[in-house]
Amino acid sequence: MKSVLKFVVWLSVAMAGAGALAKIALDRGEALNATWFVVAAVCCYLVAYRLYSAFVAARLLALDDTRATPAEIHDDGRDFVPTNKWVLFGHHFAAIAGPGPLVGPTLAAQFGYLPGTLWLIAGAALAGCVQDFIILFCSIRRDGKTLGQMAREEVSARGGFIAQIAVLAIMVILLAVVALVVVNALKSSPWGTFTLAMTIPIALLLGVYLRFIRPGRVLEASFLGVALVLFAVLAGQWVTASPSWARAFTFGGTALAFLIIAYGFAAAVLPVWLLLAPRDYLSAFIKTGAILSLAAGILFVRPHMMMPPLTRFVDGSGPVFAGKVFPFCFITIACGAISGFHSLISSGTTPKMILRESHSRLIGYGAMLLESFVGVMAMVAASAMPPGVYFAINSPASMVGGTPQEAAATISRWGYHLDAGTMTSLAHAVGEQTLLNRAGGAPSLAVGMAQIFSSTIGGERLLSIWYHFAIMFEALFILTVLDAGTRVGRFMVQELGGRVWKPLAHTGWMPGVLLSSAVIVGMWGYFLYQGVVDPLGGINSLWPLFGIANQLLAAVALVVATTILLKMKRLRWIWVTLVPMVWLVAVTMTASYQKIFDANPNLGFLSKAKSLAAEIAGGQILPAKIAETERLIFNQRLDAAVTGVLALMILVLLAEALVQWFLILSGRREAILHEAPYVATQWTSGFTGTAHGDD
Amino acid sequence: MQRAVNFAKRALRRFWRGLREWCGDAAYERYLGAKGRQDAERRTLTAEEFYVEQVNRRYSRPNRCC
Repeated sequence: MKSVLKFVVWLSVAMAGAGALAKIALDRGEALNATWFVVAAVCCYLVAYRLYSAFVAARLLALDDTRATPAEIHDDGRDFVPTNKWVLFGHHFAAIAGPGPLVGPTLAAQFGYLPGTLWLIAGAALAGCVQDFIILFCSIRRDGKTLGQMAREEVSARGGFIAQIAVLAIMVILLAVVALVVVNALKSSPWGTFTLAMTIPIALLLGVYLRFIRPGRVLEASFLGVALVLFAVLAGQWVTASPSWARAFTFGGTALAFLIIAYGFAAAVLPVWLLLAPRDYLSAFIKTGAILSLAAGILFVRPHMMMPPLTRFVDGSGPVFAGKVFPFCFITIACGAISGFHSLISSGTTPKMILRESHSRLIGYGAMLLESFVGVMAMVAASAMPPGVYFAINSPASMVGGTPQEAAATISRWGYHLDAGTMTSLAHAVGEQTLLNRAGGAPSLAVGMAQIFSSTIGGERLLSIWYHFAIMFEALFILTVLDAGTRVGRFMVQELGGRVWKPLAHTGWMPGVLLSSAVIVGMWGYFLYQGVVDPLGGINSLWPLFGIANQLLAAVALVVATTILLKMKRLRWIWVTLVPMVWLVAVTMTASYQKIFDANPNLGFLSKAKSLAAEIAGGQILPAKIAETERLIFNQRLDAAVTGVLALMILVLLAEALVQWFLILSGRREAILHEAPYVATQWTSGFTGTAHGDD
Repeated sequence: MQRAVNFAKRALRRFWRGLREWCGDAAYERYLGAKGRQDAERRTLTAEEFYVEQVNRRYSRPNRCC
């Protein structure tokens, strides 16, 4: 009887999900309500978790709870800490959810809401969650080894080196692109700049508190910090109202870029406890609070989708970024569907804290489903505003013009009606001078979030405060990614540099610290500067580059996972990782090819360089602008080279893996797994990880 | 009624404990109770030493994603 009831409940959930998806995909009538998106996503996630993740756990991985995990074996209270599965779920989610699932879907809304939403749901259930789950499992079985170490041991030494270089490349491009998102959100915005600037002294204050006054009391320090940051958001309006203060906090794109570069360098060389760690604590609380508030706001307001399911820009002529829906929708939305970067968290950090192998299903698969839901909410927030407003915020001035009148005329010509007055009054309502040409996703998401929040609390009156709260929340955790990433990048440069010149590898040697910090900041700073001065707004070229790098890392992770499964003789179910891997290789290769060689100058780096060179040769460029144009040509060629190198790396790794698979399958090489030996658990089956000190 | 109050108290206590563990507030208590450490270490770090060592280690590897 009970099993019949269970079957009926799950059948109802599956049918509700399928019905909501069909409504989203097929409805062409009135504007859809956001509730359909929530129902479709939640039901699909529940079914995927209940059926697919259970299948992967039981058939493919054969999780074994009698086996002691690294946390039990080592239990040193530092890295290896047995942690309750729900606490670790929250920990893992806070680590994997960054700006990507918010910015990517917002940018991909230029194709309409349909392609992005379907990719977010299907990509997460069949690829992203699978990657996170299986890499977590593999790392647990190898004492918490990192992806690079596993690639080296299980695929080849060259595979490990490629993974290491891929991680560094993705780090550089990621840091540049997220910094560019902040620059585009804060340029000519004294309110936003003041609020974000204030988070630095607040973090320093918390750093001193946590180090000297109440060591390690993170919770009370974070409450204090969150209160101060919220006050800084309110105080921002007084800064805007005062002409002299407003002037002091008003910066152009280039000045902001240099300020962020200087900040990144400082964060990499200053003691971690002073700035980086307290900022991260603050960011984790505000991020979690803002995401929960956005979910509650969407459920309460249930906005209607103003964006059509498909826009005319599926043909590749989009103003936010160039390229057709395939492959660029799948490149633009990386985090939220599948993100290679997650495999770095799933190996190395989380596996050292897990209590039981079976918990990896909730933590690896489940946390990624939640991140996908964040992506769906971002898509809802971006699609709930009129498309004309969305395109005015996200299109570069070189495409739509720099004034409200020009932008309104161009965007209306595209078929998305926009009054010039709408943008002026919206900018005024959110406390900004202008909202035009702010590509990057953050301002349009902030407008969407502010409209949802203000419909819940405060109405139009509080729109400007909600907008700046959203900007602060996005910028705060983007800067956290920036400073944490710069520091990790510094260690990577030191490690790689140490192979050439040994003293560089000493992480405590100050000249080495300064040099390696300057190298990593110089690398992402160059791409950032290039993005700021790019007439197409920078996001147009940098975000696809970031997406390609991130998906490339995901392909690396899936190659490693497939190799391990092959060695475990799980041939029958190998398609679980093989199919997403083939898909990602197809997507990254197509996107890389188009970004390098496409004849359309807005899409292909080389054809853009060629057309700029032809303009110089044809005398169409003013003499004063020639040096600048030559720099643009160099940047286009550099982007082409970076894309080419990334694509080549995955091809080499793939070739290595294919040879390895062939040798194993043909019996010419023994399949040697590098798993840690089996140790039986000493914990009872009811142990939940609360053994130390807390009742 | 008493049962409901007790249930709520228990739930709140669990939430508070989970929150402290999630954000790292309880990390030092965890360290003091860690079995592997007791076996291997001669000197126990002070709360301040542990905090600095912990954040140095945590932010030397990828721990925040895109």
